[in-house]
Amino acid sequence: MNMRLGTLFRTVFRRELTMMTRYAVNTVSSLVSIYILFVLIFLGMQRLSSTMAGEFLNDTLEGTIIGFFVWTFTIFAYSDLSWSLTGEAQAGTLEQLYLSPFGFRRVCACTVISTFLLNLIPHTVFLVAMMATTGHWLRLDVVSLLPLMAITVMGAYGFGFALGGLALVYKRIQALFQIVQFIFLACLVVPTRIPWVRFLPLSMGNSLIYDVMVQEKRLWELPPMSVLTALGVGAVYLAIGLIVFSRCECVAKQRGLLGHY
Amino acid sequence: MEETALEVEAMSKTYRERGRQEVRAVDNVSFKVKQQEVVGLLGPNGAGKTTIIKCILGLMQPDAGEIRVFGQDVTKHYPRVLENMSAVLEGSRNLYWRLTAWENVLFFAGLSGISSRDTHDYFNYLIELFSLEDKKNVEVRKLSQGMKQKASIVCALARRTPLVFLDEPTLGLDVETSLELRQILKQLAQQEHRTIVVSSHNMDVIQDICQRVIILSGGRIMVDDHVDHLIKLFETRAYRIALDGHPSSELEEALAARFSSINMAAQKYGVEIKINLSDRDDIYLLMDMLRSHGAIIDEISHEDIDLERVFLEVVRRERDEYASGHSI
Ligand SMILES: Nc1ncnc2c1ncn2[C@@H]1O[C@H](COP(=O)(O)OP(=O)(O)O)[C@@H](O)[C@H]1O
Ligand SMILES: [Mg+2]
Repeated sequence: MNMRLGTLFRTVFRRELTMMTRYAVNTVSSLVSIYILFVLIFLGMQRLSSTMAGEFLNDTLEGTIIGFFVWTFTIFAYSDLSWSLTGEAQAGTLEQLYLSPFGFRRVCACTVISTFLLNLIPHTVFLVAMMATTGHWLRLDVVSLLPLMAITVMGAYGFGFALGGLALVYKRIQALFQIVQFIFLACLVVPTRIPWVRFLPLSMGNSLIYDVMVQEKRLWELPPMSVLTALGVGAVYLAIGLIVFSRCECVAKQRGLLGHY
Repeated sequence: MEETALEVEAMSKTYRERGRQEVRAVDNVSFKVKQQEVVGLLGPNGAGKTTIIKCILGLMQPDAGEIRVFGQDVTKHYPRVLENMSAVLEGSRNLYWRLTAWENVLFFAGLSGISSRDTHDYFNYLIELFSLEDKKNVEVRKLSQGMKQKASIVCALARRTPLVFLDEPTLGLDVETSLELRQILKQLAQQEHRTIVVSSHNMDVIQDICQRVIILSGGRIMVDDHVDHLIKLFETRAYRIALDGHPSSELEEALAARFSSINMAAQKYGVEIKINLSDRDDIYLLMDMLRSHGAIIDEISHEDIDLERVFLEVVRRERDEYASGHSI
């Protein structure tokens, strides 16, 4: 079974890779439009800086670059998941995934891990583009960043599972898909100095990524409590998302909604 | 020892949705399918075919009933039991349109843990059997309806499961493609030793491919019999009688009162009677009635009968019984 689990992962990864190349235009164009937004904000900040202290601009700029990077990465992760659940239900491929003897859960886990890994490529290019535009080079400590990105994105996957599941049962929920992007944005801009903000999705992870990229700390130099909080919060949001999803899955199996009807 | 591939026992499924009327889609259905048997589920739209198939596959939760696949209880052994079943579902895509036919085959086989290179020969054999060689590396969205359907079937077969469900495989195809696909499926059923359950609302499809047919109507099983046997049974009871001259109105009334399935049509020479006799001895009664009213019989023959007639007859009888049962 373990060896065959490898087969399952390779199979799913290959599908995601192929789909990514087929849909490359979509990925590139949405990243380019976010990049343009970033450039506009950057220009605005430069304008402002002529009237303010340079130090202030530097701090804000670094925060903005990281915020944009984490934001795009998490909304891609989230929307990939929620849209693929509902989109595949409507197209009719979801039922075929449910027919895998490995079980849908394993198939889903492989999908999530594959998209996480594959999304790193265009998003790193995007990050480098932002740094090149601003001339601000931040440290890319992959060993410290990868685990923190994974921890941060867990919350986003929680939302993806919850809304994707709800949309299987209540089709109209799809209208809410976009709103979540703004919730994420809000979670990324509120400062984590405020105690309860630590329990928002993404916030803590984002702040730790900032510490690694700007303060040049390594993962093990970060305060352990903060890392554990980020991990715990991510895990809780993911767990809630999975619980909501499996409830919805149950209802969908009752009413025959896994396929289009 | 056990040679039963599929066993469905007392399965029922009612769709309940707020604000909508309940639909009893499957009503206490039981049947068995032997290994290597090719069985048809025949019934009009809404008869419950798709619901039955999805409940067996665990894509839907039945309200009641037990389902065993190769002796294993489906609920208890889920999802491992899916190593034994694959399906092409009705009306949905079943495939990724942005992947090529070949990429789809590799994906769905891999989803079942099948990946080794030795299986490529088999995949190629399937692709050839369904004449998709030229389209193997074309994105599915660019294929015709018929080829998409063929590619879906290839993907299901590529999983090499001993039990395969094909839900309305010829739905939405033009006559020619439908005929071609039926030919291929027939060949497949002969070459491969798989158990196949085909559903259709089209009798020709079932008659072409299946040895046995289960006729469904309103979520219930009307008939479960061998196709040949069923046709023969009805053949012996379906008569066409030509009368010389027109029968008296008394005779017409008497016949209509006695035989509900009678159909009389005026012809040049007189009248043609078509009748299905539910009781073997009824033919003598019919002859008696004709003779006592002085009708002259020109010709009596068995009528050619296909599943379509069988089906209509079964549904008609069911309705009659239902009506009489309720008038008491
Ligand atoms: N998901 C569903 N929700 C509500 N009613 C359904 C659903 N699926 C099927 N039905 C109803 O159940 C009955 C049987 O449908 P179905 O199993 O699709 O029959 P068939 O495949 O023989 O056409 C029909 O009356 C249909 O309208
Ligand atoms: Mg159907």
